[in-house]
Amino acid sequence: MKILSLITVVFVGAALIYGTLDMPKWGDPHSPASTHVSPYYLRHSLHDAATPNVVTTVLADYRGYDTLGETAVVFTAGMACILLLRAGRKRRGKGHV
Amino acid sequence: MFEFIVSHYNYWMYIALMMVGFYAMMAKRNLVKKIIGMNIFQSAIILFYISTSVKRGATVPILEHAHEGHGAVAHAAHAVDVMQYANPLPHVLMLTAIVVMVATLGVALAVAIMIYKRYHTLEEDEIMMSIRRG
Amino acid sequence: MIAQIPILIVVIPLLFSVLCPLIGLWRKGLCYSWAILALSLCAVASIDTLFAVMGGGTIHYRLGGWAPPFGIEYVIDHLNAMMLVIVSLISLIVAIYSRRSVEQELPEKIVYFYTVFLLQVTGFLGIVITGDLFNLYVFLEIGSLAGYALIAIGEDGAPLATFRYIVMGTIGACFYLLGVGYIYISTGSLNMADVQQILPQLYHSKVILTAVAFLLAGIAIKMALFPVHVWLPDAYTKAPSAVSALIAPLMTKISLYVMIRVLFTVFQPHLSIELLPITDIMVWAGVIAILGGAVMALAQTDFKRMLCYVVVAEVGYIVGGVGLANTVAMKGAILHILNDAVMTVGLFTVAGIVTYKTKSHNLSDFEDLFRKMPFTMAAFVVVALSIIGVPPTCGFFSKWYLIQGALIAKHWAFLAALLFSSLVSVILFFRIFEIGYVFRASNGTQTHGDEHTAIINEAPLSMLIPTIAIAIAMILIGLYNQAIVSNIIAFAIPKL
Repeated sequence: MKILSLITVVFVGAALIYGTLDMPKWGDPHSPASTHVSPYYLRHSLHDAATPNVVTTVLADYRGYDTLGETAVVFTAGMACILLLRAGRKRRGKGHV
Repeated sequence: MFEFIVSHYNYWMYIALMMVGFYAMMAKRNLVKKIIGMNIFQSAIILFYISTSVKRGATVPILEHAHEGHGAVAHAAHAVDVMQYANPLPHVLMLTAIVVMVATLGVALAVAIMIYKRYHTLEEDEIMMSIRRG
Repeated sequence: MIAQIPILIVVIPLLFSVLCPLIGLWRKGLCYSWAILALSLCAVASIDTLFAVMGGGTIHYRLGGWAPPFGIEYVIDHLNAMMLVIVSLISLIVAIYSRRSVEQELPEKIVYFYTVFLLQVTGFLGIVITGDLFNLYVFLEIGSLAGYALIAIGEDGAPLATFRYIVMGTIGACFYLLGVGYIYISTGSLNMADVQQILPQLYHSKVILTAVAFLLAGIAIKMALFPVHVWLPDAYTKAPSAVSALIAPLMTKISLYVMIRVLFTVFQPHLSIELLPITDIMVWAGVIAILGGAVMALAQTDFKRMLCYVVVAEVGYIVGGVGLANTVAMKGAILHILNDAVMTVGLFTVAGIVTYKTKSHNLSDFEDLFRKMPFTMAAFVVVALSIIGVPPTCGFFSKWYLIQGALIAKHWAFLAALLFSSLVSVILFFRIFEIGYVFRASNGTQTHGDEHTAIINEAPLSMLIPTIAIAIAMILIGLYNQAIVSNIIAFAIPKL
């Protein structure tokens, strides 16, 4: 089992490293990630949302729906924990602890 | 060659870290160790994303002198030097991913507690033994 | 108002689930009606959206009004719209069906059960409707987390099965996220349509190659493709009956939808079919999944577990059908997504009724059931015939398309696997019919006609009606399959 896991890990790691070979250099200001969509946020954040912190603008405005999803994830986790650990404890509690 | 390594080794470090977590998830027999491995894996992915937001010589994406004079706001749209600030998008994505990670951790631990209540152990081998015994 | 309907599809179940615990504080029994209300509204909105798409083409909905590559947008074409209707209608049927089964299996947890149930549906709908790669991940996690919780409250052993599912599911989600990260690094965008525009210049990049591999590997784990299906049988067998009926049909189908989306919307068919051998690998993966699922299903003595392997085999049908990469097979694969969702929900509702009546779900529990529960078993026979592929049930038509597609592609192995699996289904289900006709002698030494009525011990109506409705739907889909194919699926298939 351990050998199999090790082989899988090495294989997956090698695949991931193979993918990085064509990646832009670290910190390259002209990489696609830094030139395609993100300059728009930096340029328009102040005008669109009057917020100097661009991360806040993207979080709450441009990609606000993701943040709604994020909140829903937390709610889901909370409800999941209640469902798993708390709900119905009172009735059963006396029988066996 | 040397320059290539220097400009890419950060990715490789994160991948190494991911694989540490991945190995723990698959090979460890203790359920909490599996959860820890899961966390290492996810954290490494977060580091990986964040490293894509770096621009050499840039600072945090908080615009300077933003609120000095309201008239300037209209001009600011063109005045911002994009090279001066780091890419904000990966930060936002990872804020979301961190929350997702914490939520997964919470549910995984809750399930681990249920398993512990049932079998009084978190070692997978012992659990399998107690299932086999009935 | 009309223009806002797409967002309502996701927001209604989310909002109703947030309010569900509050309703539960007031009156516990109301949660059931509350969930049904939410899902009915949701179903109405989905059906309306489907008609809007059929009438006016693809809908683009900007969330918060931000223009697409910068903000998130919904893109609803024929494929999404069909999936939305499938998801919302099936979850509505399962919600109606769930009442008595939840009252019996989880009496203390009704309130939170329906809360998480609605969140589960929210996650599914959010995955289907979105046009943004990262947003898809967020909703995938909502759906997965809710699924973990719902499965873990099942019978003895469910938490351990869930834990394994969590580990596998997280690996799948992480691989997907890594794939999205690789795409983001090389394109700078997360919007599917935008990425599609940028990618063709990058098709020879190693980054994109790796991204494809990891996206598909992640999705394959989520859809339980054969070698990585190991989490599925345990998890779905031990889940509460209502939960298996909800998740077993939908989770796999939604992952298959995501696979089609990634292969043919994010990447263009050109890459998936010509530049890389992805589709060839997929056909063989499908063949292996069909054979593996069918053989494993034969070996089971537990009814639900057997159904789980049937699901694994059905996933193979669709993966293989997509992999054949011709129009006919693609039509068959997408029609099979619809058919298989309906068939699987039918199987698991029957399994739930058997569990409700006999408190376990072994094959031997089917003894005597043809006499005790004639209506349930009639529905079960229709579902089984559909899985085997007997006309006029829906299963026949999608299999027919898939077989034609295999003939066009001259892929004999896939054809053989399809026929073999149909044969295995015949054995599987006729074995159960045979058990069902074993009348227990202890019920009386002789069974005369007049005693029959006294012995009938049918499932409660709230479970029976949805099950029969599914069986009828199966025949209707079969009869009207031509209309579905020419009006919806013909537009849903990617241009090859």
